[in-house]
Amino acid sequence: MDIGFVLTQTVLTFIGFQACYFAIAAIGLNVQFGFTGLLNFGQAAFMAAGAYGMAQTVPIFEISLWWGMFIGIAYALFLGLLMGVPTLRLRADYLAIVTIASAEIVRLVVRSVEFQDTFGATDGLIGYAESFQQVGVDLGLNSTADYGFWIFTFSGRDLWRLIVGWSLVAVFALIVWSLMRSPWGRVLKAIREDEDAVRSLGKSVYSYKLQSLLLGGTIGAFGGMYFAVGQAAVQPDVFSRDLTFFVLTGLVIGGVAKVTGSIIGPMIFWGIYAFLDSLLRELVDKPVRIGDFTLIQSTDIGAVVYMVMGSGLVALMVVRPQGIFGNRKEMAFDGR
Amino acid sequence: MDDDMSLTDTSGAADGIEGTVDTTAERVYSEFAAKARAALSGVAPEPGAPKPDPILVANGVRRAFGGIVAVDVDHIEVQRGSITALIGPNGAGKTTFFNLLTGFDSPDTGTWRFDGADMGGVAPHRMASRGMVRTFQLTKSLTKMSVIENMKLGATGQKGEKWWNGLFPATWRRQEAEIEARADELLKRFRLDHMRDEYAGALSGGQRKLLEMARALMTNPTLVMLDEPMAGVNPALKQSLNAHVRGLRDEGMTVLFVEHDMDMVHDISDWVIVMAEGQVIAEGTPDDISSNTAVIDAYLGTHQGRSLLEDE
Amino acid sequence: MTGPVRGSDVQMTDRWRLHRRRVRVVQMMIGLLVGLAALAGLAAPASADGEAIRVQVKDQQRTADGKTDNQPVPGVTVTVVDATGAEVGSGVTDDKGVVVIPVPGKADYTVRIDESTLPDGKALSEQTPAEQPIAADSFITATRTVNFFTGESQRTETGTAERWLQRLSDGIRLGLIIAMCSVGLSLIFGTTGLTNFAHGEMVTFGAMVAYLFNTMGVHILLATPIAVVAGGLLGYSSDRWGFAKLRARGVGLITQMVITLGISIAAKNFFLWRFGGRNQPYENYTNQVGIEIGPITITPRDLITAILSALVLVAVALTLQYSRLGKATRAVSDNADLASSTGIDSSKVIRLIWIAGGALAALGGVFRGLDEEVSWDLGTILLFLMFAGITLGGLGSAYGALVGGFVIGVLVEMSVLFGVPTELKAAPALVVLILILLVRPQGILGRSQRVG
Repeated sequence: MDIGFVLTQTVLTFIGFQACYFAIAAIGLNVQFGFTGLLNFGQAAFMAAGAYGMAQTVPIFEISLWWGMFIGIAYALFLGLLMGVPTLRLRADYLAIVTIASAEIVRLVVRSVEFQDTFGATDGLIGYAESFQQVGVDLGLNSTADYGFWIFTFSGRDLWRLIVGWSLVAVFALIVWSLMRSPWGRVLKAIREDEDAVRSLGKSVYSYKLQSLLLGGTIGAFGGMYFAVGQAAVQPDVFSRDLTFFVLTGLVIGGVAKVTGSIIGPMIFWGIYAFLDSLLRELVDKPVRIGDFTLIQSTDIGAVVYMVMGSGLVALMVVRPQGIFGNRKEMAFDGR
Repeated sequence: MDDDMSLTDTSGAADGIEGTVDTTAERVYSEFAAKARAALSGVAPEPGAPKPDPILVANGVRRAFGGIVAVDVDHIEVQRGSITALIGPNGAGKTTFFNLLTGFDSPDTGTWRFDGADMGGVAPHRMASRGMVRTFQLTKSLTKMSVIENMKLGATGQKGEKWWNGLFPATWRRQEAEIEARADELLKRFRLDHMRDEYAGALSGGQRKLLEMARALMTNPTLVMLDEPMAGVNPALKQSLNAHVRGLRDEGMTVLFVEHDMDMVHDISDWVIVMAEGQVIAEGTPDDISSNTAVIDAYLGTHQGRSLLEDE
Repeated sequence: MTGPVRGSDVQMTDRWRLHRRRVRVVQMMIGLLVGLAALAGLAAPASADGEAIRVQVKDQQRTADGKTDNQPVPGVTVTVVDATGAEVGSGVTDDKGVVVIPVPGKADYTVRIDESTLPDGKALSEQTPAEQPIAADSFITATRTVNFFTGESQRTETGTAERWLQRLSDGIRLGLIIAMCSVGLSLIFGTTGLTNFAHGEMVTFGAMVAYLFNTMGVHILLATPIAVVAGGLLGYSSDRWGFAKLRARGVGLITQMVITLGISIAAKNFFLWRFGGRNQPYENYTNQVGIEIGPITITPRDLITAILSALVLVAVALTLQYSRLGKATRAVSDNADLASSTGIDSSKVIRLIWIAGGALAALGGVFRGLDEEVSWDLGTILLFLMFAGITLGGLGSAYGALVGGFVIGVLVEMSVLFGVPTELKAAPALVVLILILLVRPQGILGRSQRVG
């Protein structure tokens, strides 16, 4: 077994593309779930909104890729209103149910044969990201050449998308961080604790919740947009219910209601994932059998790793619900 | 959690009260109380009596849950600039009536006017900007925010509470400073300034009541509605709370409060409204009420022999 | 930082508490493992280590309305050719309508079906032409699955009334299953306030246990009660060693909800690992010919599961209405404080609801597995319909779950008649969900709640 390979994989994934777009989505989810206490279990739908908004530009609408940002935001706002308007006056569980349901429907719609000409069905959409990659080339990053040192060597294409991604993370982190220090953020945090108190002090709780849902959803959509241009292809099954859950897992690992938590959490999530995945791949180079009984083979590794991650989430919630970096007094997300 | 914290504050609360606050309150007390009582002196002590200058008027407000009628108030008026107590046995519908008046619940039928404006169907958050603010029976201090943040939340019309301004501190920084100054002033008055930067969760039950009242004042109300301000407050702090409630009237605000503590009712109210089984059964000055047989019956009926003045 | 300074003895207590908490976590994990141990025996999918194309030929049996009933078509010849047109391999579908053709690697292929080998009277449906191209990048795992569907060759124009009745019959079957699965979900919410996102996996669990015993040679008639008992045990252990402990510790509802998300992820991937990604039918009653009752065609299997579901639901309703347990359940779910003040032991009621809910979910899972096929995400797919159903009926209401679940099932199937594409037939459930929340958030049978 090559332990060096396992560790290299872990380190690279820790700062890699997936950690990056998860972090953007988690920053958005944190606005809703962490700071306002909204149970948005459909962040995948917002991410899909952004991703498809980007991906539709060139192949479907035949317009420049950059319009995709506006399309993605428009989709996200539409979704947010659809989910929020009926539910945000009601108790918290209804939002959870409607978001999880909407996310499922969004996925079904984009993968349906019916809308193949709009969303590309199960094959998804490709062939729109060239102008994004071109910017990297224009800035002097040769897409095939290698840059960096030691294990941190990336192709120009990878380096470009990482630079863009982590810059986006920084921008959104800064936006959310400063918003949460403003009186606006103060109202959100107060809503998380006790809606009625806020209502009695003359704030429209409903309107703030909606703003929070829309802002968090839009940031989630940017996560999706970044995924779309970074990956140069979108497929519907990426945006499954599990995606939301994994973003959420990343967020709670880092600690909710903390901007740093929403960045470091997803990094740790993917770090652990890569570690387990590459470790298992090293160990299970051929199927492990006990007699006739196949314990594990290479095709099972994905499922086994996710199973461990799910169990890890359960254990973390039981032992340390405030996350690794959270302070229990301030961060526990049960306001009650 | 509450228990160990209240130990620390009993001493802190006790030392402040006896001195300055009470004497000042006493001095002003006579002036404003006399004014309020004079205005109410001509009012007949009967349910639904008209007042010379009512700030709040309710008509035919009715609310039923399932088959049970919780509130059925025919007519009620609250005199401007007075302290009016709303009393009654458990389940009399006082808190429900409060919820109806403040928009936290909507009545099946009925109308009510605040300062001449119809308030039917007005969302609860609009009440505060119109000058009507309430507190809750179970305190709703936001325990994971600091005391000063709690206070600042109370201010209305904050520019920085618009998200697009949130990103640009320049648009709200000056207003924030003004709000903070006002909050600090109120904290000082309510003797919470030493807890300014603590989490509200670190306060005792009584201090939370004070904080909630102070926070309500941040909205610059004309009518303050207090739901059982004395519930769960230790005796040492009660005097201080009394003084603060009087202070509100003395600054020109109208106070309507629900209370079980008959000592407090007797001490500070200018007018008392009694509810039982959802209806107003009596009104009058505290002295009228103590001798009113309907009231005594209502309490005896549900409390099975306990004295009217006995604490809950 | 806050409050009075704590002494070192307090820290000791904290440490001790942490230790005890860890012990509990270990206990919980053991509980979870024991609960899943029964499933560990599920045979992992037997597949060659190299790449392969797996072709399934299924007969939809019904036409016009496009409902897939997944009846396997054996004896069909299938050929795979590569990009240059050279034959890579061929085979004939087995009893399950499946043939696996190994291919040299992930590349572009074309799968061709010999239409002359189809059974008499059958023809390929329009959605799946006799030649299907396979792109190299569509191999997600080593095995790429291709489906062919057949239908009646002579399309008889069915009348509107017949289509409606056929859809209605399908909808009733789905509705009964959703209603059965939702009872536990709704009552657990009603009594404890917990939204259990792992409830779908409880449904899958039932289907899986029955499948496990079924493949070991136990007839499905016997495997079903075994699955129901296992479902009850799972419900019992989830509460006994899981959520009851969390409640006792005062763990918040949102934390508990996130825990159910974690369980859902873990359990689902466990099923994927042990069961594999493909659908599998039960061994018994797979190849049934539909019988015609008036205008409706239904297989005896589906008819019997529908009748059994209806009986079970009537029994559930009667239990809720008349038995002491049922009354206690409704009381706790209406108002837990009030119920406990009248001497009802709510923790006992909650335990029983978990057991009954688990058992019913398991039964629903088996019936769903019979109706369609068993898959690793069978319950996960139903979860959203269950939520729509219980919200429609009234979150936490006992009968609401029955009525709402049933209505959603019927609606989902009937929606196809109004031009909703078959693959999107779940979408109307979301529309209903949103409309009901706008118009009557307490649901059909729920009572309006006090605000503030």
